[in-house]
Amino acid sequence: MAEILLSEAEKAFIHHGVQDDLRCDGRTRLDYRPIILETGLVSNASGSARLRLANSDILVGVKVELASPSPDKPQEGRLEFFVDCSANATPEFEGRGGEDLANEICRFLQRSYASGDTINLAELSILSGQQCWVLYVDILILECGGNLYDATFMAVKSALYATQIPSIKVATMDGDQPELELSDDPYDTKRLNTENLPCVVTLMKIGNHYLVDPTPEEECCSSSGIVVAVSGNKKITAVRKIGSGSLHPDSLVSMLKTGSDVGAKVNKTLMIKLLEEKNLEKSQKVGFMR
Amino acid sequence: MPVDSRRLQGPENSFSYKLLEKKNDNEEEAALSADLQKILIGTNKVRKDKRIPSDARPLCNVTITGIVSQAKGSAYIEQGNTKLVCGVYGPREVQKKSDFSLNGQLFCEFKFAPFSCQKRRGHQQDNEELVLSGLLREALEAAVCLHQFPKAQVEVNVMVIENDGSPLAAALTCASLALASASIPMYDLVIGTSVRQLPKLLLLDPTKDEEWEPELNHDEDNSNLTIGFMPSTHQIAAYVHEGVSKTEDLEQMLKLATEYCLKVQPVVQLCLKEVVEKTLSNESENKVDE
Repeated sequence: MAEILLSEAEKAFIHHGVQDDLRCDGRTRLDYRPIILETGLVSNASGSARLRLANSDILVGVKVELASPSPDKPQEGRLEFFVDCSANATPEFEGRGGEDLANEICRFLQRSYASGDTINLAELSILSGQQCWVLYVDILILECGGNLYDATFMAVKSALYATQIPSIKVATMDGDQPELELSDDPYDTKRLNTENLPCVVTLMKIGNHYLVDPTPEEECCSSSGIVVAVSGNKKITAVRKIGSGSLHPDSLVSMLKTGSDVGAKVNKTLMIKLLEEKNLEKSQKVGFMR
Repeated sequence: MPVDSRRLQGPENSFSYKLLEKKNDNEEEAALSADLQKILIGTNKVRKDKRIPSDARPLCNVTITGIVSQAKGSAYIEQGNTKLVCGVYGPREVQKKSDFSLNGQLFCEFKFAPFSCQKRRGHQQDNEELVLSGLLREALEAAVCLHQFPKAQVEVNVMVIENDGSPLAAALTCASLALASASIPMYDLVIGTSVRQLPKLLLLDPTKDEEWEPELNHDEDNSNLTIGFMPSTHQIAAYVHEGVSKTEDLEQMLKLATEYCLKVQPVVQLCLKEVVEKTLSNESENKVDE
C-alpha cells in the first residue's frame, strides 16, 4: 500500500483519536467516508462502475464474452478478475510495483466470489459443456486513498449489477457445433442476480481498538487488521489477516462479528442506492467531470 | 499471466485425465451437502484415513538439520502425505533494488513442485503461489524479531513436494522450524493448522479430498480455515478463511484450531531441543579433538 511517512507525534495523535472514538476527520471508529458511485459510464463495456471513496478512485469495467467452459465445470460460466494498479495512483505502482497488491486483491476477489452461495454461475451457462459466458471484470485503481479492498469490492458489485448480458439462443445443432443466435433487439438483455455478492469490510487494529474504512495515515499506524467479505445474506465468504502484526483470538472474534454486521449494512445500503440509480433517467449521468 | 519465453510451452489446453473419471459418476457431482458429508466421513464418524473428525494427521519425519546443507537453516515436514522442505538463508545484505528499511526484511517464496498436485503446476510462480508467499511472509514477520538484524534480509524458501491438503499450515510450521534452526531470533514459533467446516461438523487438518472446493449447489456452511498460531504469546499470525460460514461457526473453528496448536507446541519444541543438543554435543566433541 502507499507508504506515507508519519512522525511519531503524528502517529500518537492518531492513536489517541482512535482511543477517544474521534478520528482526525471527525468520524467515529465505525463510520465510512463519503462514497460517490455511478454505473454505466463506459459505453464499450457491458457493465461498468466508478466508485470514489474519499480519495480512493476505482473504475471497473465488465466485458461479457463467449467461451467454452472449463472441462471440470461444464455447466458453469466463469468470472475472471484482473486488478490493475495504475501508476497514476502512486508512483510506487510504476512498472511492476503494484503487482503484489493487485495480486492480493485479485485472489481475494476470486476466493470470495467462488462459492455458489454468492453468485450462481450456472446462470452463465448457455450450452452445457460447449458454450458459456465469461465475465471479464477489469478493475482499474486510479487513485489510492486508503481502504482499497472495500472500495474495489463495492465497485465490482455495482459493475456486475449494471452488467447486461444479451440473450442468446441455441438455434440449431450443426453436427457437433452448436449454432448460436443473438437476439436482434439490443435491449433484450438480462441482468445477473447480484443480491448476494459480497462486500468487504476492512478492520484495522490501532492500539486496543479497531476501526473501519482506514485512511492511508491510519493504515500506516496499524500493524495488523482483517478483511472480511460478507455476502448479502450476512454470511462470511472469505477472511484474511493483513499486515505484519498478530492478533489475539478474542479480538479477532470480536472483529469478525463487527465486520459481518457492518458488511451486511454496507451491502444493504449499496443495493438500495443501486436500485435508486437504475430508476434515474439517463440524462442525469454525471460522468468523470465532477 | 506472463509466460517464460525461453521454456518450451506445452499445449495450453491440456487437462488432467482424472476429470473424465469424475464425469462417469454424475451422482457424486450432484451430491447435496448431506451426501458430501457421508462421502467424507462414514456413518460411524470415522474419516477415510481412520481419523475421528477432531484428529489431525501426525506430524512425522520432522527433520531439521542438514536437509538443505548449504542453507543456514532448513526443515522438512511430513503431515500425512503433505510433504515440504524449507530452507532459510541469511541474514545477509539487502539487494539494492528493494527499498531501504531500518528493520530487517523477510523474503518468502512459496512454490509447489510441478508434480506436487493433481493438476500440473507451472515452473513460474502462479497467482496462488504468490499470494501464499505473501501470507507466509506476513505471518512470519509477526514472529521474527526484525529489529535484531537491521538493514539485512532473510530469505525463506518453501517447496511443496507433495500436496495432500493444508499446505499453507504445514509451511508455517516448517518455516518457523527452519528459521529457528538458522538461529534467527523469534518471539515465538508459528504453528499452522487447517480446519474444514461441513454443516454441523468440523474436520481438523483436512486432506486434499476433504478440503473445501467451491461448488455450485451445496455451499452453505462449507469452508476452510487456515491459521498460524503463536502458542506462547497466544497470538494469531495468519488467518485465512474461504467459503461460506456464519460468524459463530468461525469462532468454533478458531477454537478447535488454537487448541490443536497448543497441543502440538511441545512436540515442535522437542524437535528443536534435539537439534540444539546435537549441535552442542558435536561442538564439545570437536573441542576434545583439538
